[in-house]
Amino acid sequence: MKKLISLTVNGIKHELAVEPRRTLLEVLREDLGLTGTKKGCGIGDCGACTVLLEGVATFSCLTLAIQADGCSIETVEGLAEGGRLNRLQQEFVNHGAVQCGFCTPGMLMTATELLRRNKHPDEKEIRRAISGNLCRCTGYQKIVEAIQAAGEKET
Amino acid sequence: MKKHRILNTRAPRIDAADKVTGKAVYTDDLRRPCMLHAAILHSPLAHARILNIDTSRARSLPGVIDVVTSQEAGIRPYGVSPARHDETIFCHDKVRYVGDEIAAVAAVDLDTALEAVSLIKVDFEELPIILDGLTAMNDGQPQLHEIYKNNICAEVHWQFGDVEKGRRESSIIRTDRMISKMQDAAFMEPQSVLAETDARGHLTMWSSTQAPHYVQRTLAMALDLPLHKVRVIKPAVGGGFGPKASCSTAELVTCLLALRTGQPVKLTFDREQVFLHSRARHQFFHTMTTGVRNDGTLAFLEHNCILDGGAYASFGIATVYYSGSLLGGPYRLKNMNYDGYRVVTNKPACGAQRGHGAVIARALFEVQLDRLAEELGMDPIELRLKNVMEAGETTCNELYVSSFGMREALEAVRDSAAWKKKRARDGQIRRDGKGIGAACGFFVSGAGYPIYRSRTYHCTVVTKLDEVGGGVTVSSGAADIGQGSDTVLAMITAEELGLNLEDVRVQSGDSSLSVDLGAYSSRTTLMTGHACREAAQDVKQQILEAISGCLGVPPETLDLKDNRLISLAGEIDFSALREEYLKEHKGFASLPETAHLTFAEAGRIAFLERGTIVGTGKYKPPPLGGSFKGATVGTSPAYGCSAQIAEVSVDLQTGEITVQNITGAHDCGYAINVTQVEGQMQGSMMMGMGEALMEQIIYDSEGRIVNANLAEYKIPTALDMPHLRTIIVESNEPAGPYGAKEVGEGAIMPVIPALMNAIYDATGVRIEELPLTPERLVAALKAGRHQKSSI
Amino acid sequence: MILPRFDVLVPDSVEEACAMLAEHADEGVRLLAGGTDLLVELRRPIIPQHVPRCDGCQEHPSGGIRTTIECASPESGALMPSGGSLRTSITAAKKASPAYLISLHKLRNLKGVERLPGGDIRIGALTTVSEIERSSDIRRHWTALAEGADHLGSPLVRNRGTIGGNIANARPAADLAVPTIGLGATLTLESRSGTRSIPASEFPRGPGLSVIKPDEILTEIRYPAPLPYSASAYYKLANRKALEISTVGVAVYLALESPNGPVTDVRVALGAVGPTPILAESVRDILIGKIPDETLFSSAAEAALREARPIDDHRGSAWYRTQMVELLTRRLLQIVINRIQDDQ
Repeated sequence: MKKLISLTVNGIKHELAVEPRRTLLEVLREDLGLTGTKKGCGIGDCGACTVLLEGVATFSCLTLAIQADGCSIETVEGLAEGGRLNRLQQEFVNHGAVQCGFCTPGMLMTATELLRRNKHPDEKEIRRAISGNLCRCTGYQKIVEAIQAAGEKET
Repeated sequence: MKKHRILNTRAPRIDAADKVTGKAVYTDDLRRPCMLHAAILHSPLAHARILNIDTSRARSLPGVIDVVTSQEAGIRPYGVSPARHDETIFCHDKVRYVGDEIAAVAAVDLDTALEAVSLIKVDFEELPIILDGLTAMNDGQPQLHEIYKNNICAEVHWQFGDVEKGRRESSIIRTDRMISKMQDAAFMEPQSVLAETDARGHLTMWSSTQAPHYVQRTLAMALDLPLHKVRVIKPAVGGGFGPKASCSTAELVTCLLALRTGQPVKLTFDREQVFLHSRARHQFFHTMTTGVRNDGTLAFLEHNCILDGGAYASFGIATVYYSGSLLGGPYRLKNMNYDGYRVVTNKPACGAQRGHGAVIARALFEVQLDRLAEELGMDPIELRLKNVMEAGETTCNELYVSSFGMREALEAVRDSAAWKKKRARDGQIRRDGKGIGAACGFFVSGAGYPIYRSRTYHCTVVTKLDEVGGGVTVSSGAADIGQGSDTVLAMITAEELGLNLEDVRVQSGDSSLSVDLGAYSSRTTLMTGHACREAAQDVKQQILEAISGCLGVPPETLDLKDNRLISLAGEIDFSALREEYLKEHKGFASLPETAHLTFAEAGRIAFLERGTIVGTGKYKPPPLGGSFKGATVGTSPAYGCSAQIAEVSVDLQTGEITVQNITGAHDCGYAINVTQVEGQMQGSMMMGMGEALMEQIIYDSEGRIVNANLAEYKIPTALDMPHLRTIIVESNEPAGPYGAKEVGEGAIMPVIPALMNAIYDATGVRIEELPLTPERLVAALKAGRHQKSSI
Repeated sequence: MILPRFDVLVPDSVEEACAMLAEHADEGVRLLAGGTDLLVELRRPIIPQHVPRCDGCQEHPSGGIRTTIECASPESGALMPSGGSLRTSITAAKKASPAYLISLHKLRNLKGVERLPGGDIRIGALTTVSEIERSSDIRRHWTALAEGADHLGSPLVRNRGTIGGNIANARPAADLAVPTIGLGATLTLESRSGTRSIPASEFPRGPGLSVIKPDEILTEIRYPAPLPYSASAYYKLANRKALEISTVGVAVYLALESPNGPVTDVRVALGAVGPTPILAESVRDILIGKIPDETLFSSAAEAALREARPIDDHRGSAWYRTQMVELLTRRLLQIVINRIQDDQ
């Protein structure tokens, strides 16, 4: 039997009826059409599905939608400010931190949480923070450089 | 002074903004009205005869629209190579690996489809299974295919030069071995397919593929459809690395169900299915005997290799050739024998993966060079420098290197990594847990011949000028799978037409746009780059001719630069053209007021003069290579080459290995996009490092994959990867557009051996089996200086 | 992945949760905390289970082995053959496909780290691994637990995974469970019939098996106050530097009478080298009352080695694990001594 839940996604409140077993990832992608968050493995091994749940970087593939009832969720679609790339997104573009782009939304959300907590992370802190987000294209180097540059620019 | 305005810069990727905002569309992001979901029934047994398939309970489940087996799909054989059509859409007589596809269901939602799959009953007669590639060829073994006697799917026997003469000239001869494991490409986006037909029998399939063209052909052949009614479109793709370069059962099944139901059908692989499908790195058993003369020059190589490629041929017939042919360089080697056997076993089929067949061969050869250097008392880099080929030379197996920055790359890493200082110990290895190692490699820049026998162009490009003026659209079948080929095409077009990058649109990866063999064998920059340049030049020529007609000046006196039309021979009076343009655009803001004619105006006037302006370009390599059997594999219009130095620190008691840094230099001819070249080098380093230290597919005794997930199939995380230093070498390849050639696969070649050589320096032990895990290292350390592998 | 069908109940209090557990016990009910273990466990398999046909089956009389793909999922109603080692018991089926999940995410009082008046620390079972990682109090005084948190999975797993889940899942390699046992913690289990406390070392019984009753919830874990001149450490040995389940995990706790004095207390807990985490009791006999030195540590490490019962699996062989138990125990004992002495 479906349950009524309320999710505030990127500042917009949605009332939804969901089957208890639906994950937050499925609801975001299929019910809300927010396909920016990706499914790389479905079991919490790759980080492609990372969203911010109450500001905390979380696997949306291992979170039941019901567990997010009443919570605020941020996805990659909510990062741009007034249609313009935010600082972190711009640094990803500038530094070549994007190749196939499939890990990118998850990386951005994890990096967003990091930069809120730690305005100027060093390389070691960045690598540790993104160690749960797998990337097969970049070797992580340019991603680390982009996040570091985004941190430095904060005044 | 810079040669080019846009080329050779760090221009941001044209699709990066879409990817960082979540706007880029991958296949699973697509939805169609009335879309059905498909699920596949995979075999739980590694080798069994199918006695009976009962789909009745599946068919009667509410929500199930169609159930298909080989009855409905037919059993027309297909495969990657025309010489090895050994697959059918579904198994009909036998299953040959755990994961082999038996049936599929289309239903209103995924849950119902999976439910229905679980209701399909299959009766099997179990057959003995063969999992060991080394013994698969022995007489008396279970046979997987009627057509592969002794389970040999392909074999190669080459003799170049005179190996016996080389043997006599050698002062030191070594025989060494290396075993690797089957590995996975582990791209982040699992395969996904969406197929749709229309009322006139046209089939469109979106798929996470590297090769729309080859997939289109296989779909048409296996499903018996007219080629022109099959369209394959590649949306954004989350990595390929090889396994996505051929048509998969998922693609065939989805199309079949779409054709039968008349509704759009989607199928997206679970991560486990990615592993079951594989078509990734073969398992290799290499034995090499190499001799050097006492001056350090290579005298001969005798190479034997068994490739375990799982249950079907896939790319394997090419793989077994590449394993041998790509040892003809990058060193001068006159005498080389190769015997290669590609066998089938009851495991998921292996195909082409980054470096295609040559990666483990290169690893062993580079490790062997180090061992020869040690015996000779020579520095390993000095030994290599003594032997490297130069541009203009040809290998013993007739591969011609038109440009070759191997020496430059090797010297660059040697100096950048402070090799001499770090190795200054009279040639002694350290054995204290810290080590440094070096290696080289090279790879084709596009396969010299298409996979099917044809004189087709390898690619064509169609570039259309906007009728309104201002921009162009480049249409190409080329597949950007993350390596950035769309950006390369945009940059080339912008450069030729004097445009800003943002005024060039690229639509690509669609088989209806043009012919392009796809993203494999590192061909796109060189081949599609050529065609793209030609198309842009064609557009430019037409624009200049149109304007020259209006102005009454010869077209050779005009040019397009910096978004404008300029005169090379004094001032021109274009006021009439300006006036016409302004009159046409009355009421518009931002009208041109410049002292020169803008590109927008020139383009618009050119349309008014001539109608729609379209430029085309095309490319195919000249005939290449020798005339011996298999000579085509390894041929290429050009070769990229790579040198790397790795530094490691090892805990000598736990065996834990930390890679401290990797320095790489890659000769890409000319870097069209500097950032993207670096990105490919860094990605290659990561994949090679994973394959060296942690990646392996593990099977149990029933042929089931034990670690079909990204937790237990280990690829390096950001904490595992060290700092990567990249150096670009530009040898200016004559066969490449602007001198450019590949980087996508050549840069993976030196990684594994550089690490293995560094670990030897750090520990004093050599290991012949990959991956080099901490346990393997500890076992070797305890056993003494050298651990033999189990062969 | 697709999850099987279940209903999700969301209690507002521990009492309500216990009542729900008791009420639905017969239909299959599991507790959902972070979900990083449970939801992975519940996912439907892609490869169907193949089941040999029953002996004497009439349908295919001719010779040879027959097997049938019968769906092992209880939901489909497929029949199970009788006899043979592939029989799936009803209980296991219910555990694999429960009718109810009880999601504990509203039980805020089960979250949090609290220092108690006597110096003990109480950690609510729903405290996430990240919260433990960030607690400076835990890092200072119960370092082994902080180090377990440091290396558990990845930051994403740590943000979601809970200490209660990590312990209750009773996996032998669990990165919080092993140091919890090494630090001599006590677990509190609550049910409708009351509350009980047990030493953490007595909780696990086998891989995935524990003494927890079907109607009990693990609510909190209590770690004893740090003694003066004591320290702890945890080392996780694995192949790569994140996202790993340990090949071997070792937690060591040591207390001295004085900075250079004899050992008054010691615990060595071993992970991933047996069906449960192992508290190597024999180490106590070797170390208690003695002044620590290298030789003593070697003997202690050998004692620990003898208690380990590792198996060969795809992460490592028993041979390698045994060696590493000895090596890591020795190393950690030295590290802990250094920590005690550096503290002065």
